[in-house]
Amino acid sequence: MEKRLKLWFENLEDKEHPDEFDAKQLVNLYSIKVPCGKRLKPEDGFDLSGIDPPYVLKVCSSHILHKTELQGVVLNNDNESVQDNFAMIQKRFPNENILVENQSSYMGPEFIIGIIKDPALGHAVMVGAGGVLTELYKDTSFRLAPCSVNEAKDMIDELVLSPVFENFRGLTLDKEKLAITISQVSWLAHDLGDKLSQLDINPIVFSDGEWIALDVKVVFES
Amino acid sequence: MDKIALLKRLLDPKKIAVIGASKSKDKVGGIIFRRLLGSRRRLFPVNPKETAIEGYKVSPDIQSLPEDIDLAIITISAEAAVKSVEMCIKKRIPNYIIVAGGFGEVGAQGRDLEEKLTSMAKKNNVNILGPNSLGIFLPDENIDTIFVEHGDKSLDRNGQVACIVQSGSVGVEALGYAANTGYGMRAFVGLGNKCDLDEIDFLKYFSQDKKTNCLGFYLENIEKGRQFLTSAKETARKKPVVVLKAGRTHTGVCAVSSHTGKLAGSDNVISGALKQFGIQRVFDDEEFCDATKVLSMLPGAPGNRVAVLTAAGGYGVMCTDFIENNDKRAKLLMAELSETTKKRIKEAAFPFAACENPVDITASADDIMFSQSLDALIEDDGVDIIICIAFFAPPGITENLIDIIADKIKKSDKPVIVFTKYGPFTDNSIKNLFYAGVAAYPSVGRAVRAARFLVERTKIKQRLDQEA
Repeated sequence: MEKRLKLWFENLEDKEHPDEFDAKQLVNLYSIKVPCGKRLKPEDGFDLSGIDPPYVLKVCSSHILHKTELQGVVLNNDNESVQDNFAMIQKRFPNENILVENQSSYMGPEFIIGIIKDPALGHAVMVGAGGVLTELYKDTSFRLAPCSVNEAKDMIDELVLSPVFENFRGLTLDKEKLAITISQVSWLAHDLGDKLSQLDINPIVFSDGEWIALDVKVVFES
Repeated sequence: MDKIALLKRLLDPKKIAVIGASKSKDKVGGIIFRRLLGSRRRLFPVNPKETAIEGYKVSPDIQSLPEDIDLAIITISAEAAVKSVEMCIKKRIPNYIIVAGGFGEVGAQGRDLEEKLTSMAKKNNVNILGPNSLGIFLPDENIDTIFVEHGDKSLDRNGQVACIVQSGSVGVEALGYAANTGYGMRAFVGLGNKCDLDEIDFLKYFSQDKKTNCLGFYLENIEKGRQFLTSAKETARKKPVVVLKAGRTHTGVCAVSSHTGKLAGSDNVISGALKQFGIQRVFDDEEFCDATKVLSMLPGAPGNRVAVLTAAGGYGVMCTDFIENNDKRAKLLMAELSETTKKRIKEAAFPFAACENPVDITASADDIMFSQSLDALIEDDGVDIIICIAFFAPPGITENLIDIIADKIKKSDKPVIVFTKYGPFTDNSIKNLFYAGVAAYPSVGRAVRAARFLVERTKIKQRLDQEA
């Protein structure tokens, strides 16, 4: 893993501020699935090759914190609408990269998995009810990193949301796989070490039998 | 000798020097010296201004002390305390308790003094407890250096809880509470400013101490957090560890730009970490005493199904509400009683007694009815824990009930917790129950909470055993 992390780090364009595409590649090193996509630079042409519809278009910059609020995200693009919408985002953010991804369909609730660095205890991993309202729900649980898969299962069990894993309204979500993902994220924090300040995977959703990270953000220590 | 081995001489010293021992009963040095008179240890008061205290010859200086002193208790003020430690080290005294404040907690000058102590301890391989330490109290060893008033009469009963506290006042109040209602104190240690000895040293010591079966910590800061957690987890495999961590705003993540950072704002991280390492968290001194008391007196719970036995209907209903409350610590269920049990209770009590759980044998009950109903509940396979609501107000119920319950608890492999209340006699009843070996609480909520501590502990133990 060390070698692959090093390579990931060397490939960063901005060594201090990885963007969403970088962050997704990082979690993907830890076997966490991310949507199939590519990052297009302003000088690159429009290119969808290798990506299936429907598409998500997102402005891709570590400096833009709330891309949805700034109208930097367009969902539900089909082959017909995608080019116009791409042009629209490009016009709004002429100097920024744009991320084009396949849009995953999913069932059940959105989760968040995150990392923070506690000044006394070091990295802690969190799982919780995710999505844009995550800070309102405050349905979270924490463990220090690294944490085992069993510990991660305990974390899930502590959530108000945890009954969704017990066939709630016909949902069949894989708790074991979510626990493995949480543990993997905690190892990522452990391996990256002091440099890592914060990490958000929000949301992470259950799609086609796998947990898939739809948005990832990595913040380094400044 | 390593630190932990040296600690034995601090906590169970043969020869104790009291630097600053005083004739005056108002001075710290006077109070502590007098407390030690009952210790049956050899005492060596030191004070240039005194010649004799309570029949003891006073040494004018540290140089005149004999060899082989195990512990020096320094009762003089900050600057003088540091100088006397320096001199004691020349006499090769291995352990110190420094009572005075005026160190790191008051500013730069005090911090310098404290750093001096830290480096002296390191360089000379000695143990320093404090400064600003409340002292130590081990009822079984007759060692008590605590200079403030604390109830100790009801604590000296082969207690098995080691309490390690950072703050003086919280510690003293916990002691007072414990003494009021009966509590098995093995040891009480006031950490103070932790210039040298800290929670990890005492964790390791009492983890190995045969007379300790439960450890409780009151901590404001845990500098070596990971190390403490890792050691505590080792201990938790054998003995319950309870932590009261104050200072809950534990942010410190600067410039939070992530959801996770914002959600971690309070002390969620420390709560998660304590759970992860098998430590049971409490939030105030009352809960601290309640938890350590029950965990020390009862070995855990085989499951989470609770039966309630009461002679007072209202409290039975209230108790059910508390049991069914959704509490994150541990889920409890109202036990479903077997037909045999119901029949036995009906025969023992009255045809009109409520034989469903909560079992209400009414205010017409007497000791025998209570006793036989309790037997039936203990022997029901569908019951894991029993909460007895013991009221002494009904005319048929007498003080004998205490011994009856105690006898059954001793024979039962299921925990029985008692809630009792009787106006101004409440504390006394609880204390008498304690002396008989019964964990009792003065409110329904606290009795149910005690049951949760047992269920939580059993789950922790099972998890740690599985991991091993």
